[in-house]
Amino acid sequence: MEGAIQLNIVQFSLVYLLLIIVVAIMKKSNIKKTKLLIVSSIRMSVQLTLAGLILTYILNNPNPVFTLAYLLVMLVFSIYYVLSKNKDINNRFKMTIAMSLLLTCSFMIIFFVMVIVGIDIFNPQYSIPLAGMIIGNSMTGITLAIKVFKENISSEKVKIESLLNLGASPDKILMPYVNNSLETALLPTINSMVGMGIVFLPGMMTGQILSGTLPLTSIMYQVAIMIAICASVCLAIFFSLYFGYKTLYNKRNQITYS
Amino acid sequence: MFKIEEIIFKTKNLVFNDSIHFPNINIPKNKVTFIVGKSGAGKTTLLKMFNGTLTQSNGDIFYNNTNILDIETIKLRKEVLLISQTVFLFDGTIRDNFKEFYSYRQEKALENSKIKLFLDICHLDFSLEKNCNEMSGGEKQRLYIAIYLSFKPKVIMLDEPTSALDEENSHEIIKNILSFSKENGITVIIVSHDKKLSEVFADNTVLIE
Repeated sequence: MEGAIQLNIVQFSLVYLLLIIVVAIMKKSNIKKTKLLIVSSIRMSVQLTLAGLILTYILNNPNPVFTLAYLLVMLVFSIYYVLSKNKDINNRFKMTIAMSLLLTCSFMIIFFVMVIVGIDIFNPQYSIPLAGMIIGNSMTGITLAIKVFKENISSEKVKIESLLNLGASPDKILMPYVNNSLETALLPTINSMVGMGIVFLPGMMTGQILSGTLPLTSIMYQVAIMIAICASVCLAIFFSLYFGYKTLYNKRNQITYS
Repeated sequence: MFKIEEIIFKTKNLVFNDSIHFPNINIPKNKVTFIVGKSGAGKTTLLKMFNGTLTQSNGDIFYNNTNILDIETIKLRKEVLLISQTVFLFDGTIRDNFKEFYSYRQEKALENSKIKLFLDICHLDFSLEKNCNEMSGGEKQRLYIAIYLSFKPKVIMLDEPTSALDEENSHEIIKNILSFSKENGITVIIVSHDKKLSEVFADNTVLIE
């Protein structure tokens, strides 16, 4: 097998024409997100181009410092992203989320690259793309979990206050919200595993097949990364919420909602 | 022989949020105290400081001569039970609701006959299988009061207990709650706008301005 066919830049640019269709449908359906669509498409193109250039450099000049720096930038950005979507929570909660994301993803990347694949953690060809998948999914999972958690507790203030007046402990009151948010945020990851192989071929596997990897090898990678992602999403959310909800009440068992 | 009243709650130079100043208050034990005053004067806030769901910014509250800040709040809230003005019930039947509330207190559910007793106190003539979503606002409030009352605390604090009830009904129910409290040695504190209610039932009235 050969590597993927290189895309001709003119042919490649034709793909942007598809966006015109999306814009037309948005206009017709009164969706005022045209600007967002354009900005997102441009951002994606620029960011990926930059990432491509940097990756080319790192792959041609392998150096542990570069790999580590790249991984750190990804982690810091993901933490920044989650926290910027949740500005209204208290600082201890933010710290808990940051630590959960950092520790869970670091552990999962090291485990996957060094144990499952069985190569050096500083090998940029493996650790950077695999880390991207693990960190990206964990980031989305936590963002969703915290959103659901916050919405649920603030929409059920009357219930929470009634139970506090009753003499129930904040742990007992808040734990159901923690469990429920974990479940809600895990579902997309679990559901995506169900359709795999039948409805669609997942991105990583598609990429590997396009670049000439044997399908069997691609499948093993895909299965392994899906399970690693699921575990990473689950652990990151669990730690964020399990330690995070404890920042919502004080020694006098008074609950604050952010 | 004249016996000096025992005081269960005592406040000294109490201030909340650096803005609401309270007079010094004494609440006698085993009596019915009404707290009256304009809305916004801090009546509900006072009840919330009494059960430790809010903390004062200045001054002291003593419960049975112990500073309230030295009392474990979960224990305090179980003894000094606040029945808030906003009603919360779980989805499901009357029996389900008793079960849920008892499980949050980590206590065994009440027997049916006992549940019936508390429903009677609050004039709720329903089967335990009655779905709470089919009840009126007033009925829900009465059920809420019945559930809280069934925990037999040492102090019961009712915040506008009659807000959703008509006059005749409310007097009957308050009368029942007060006689139950008297029998069981429960101190009652009631916040109410209803002047008639306090004229009829108050042993003691505290004015907050």
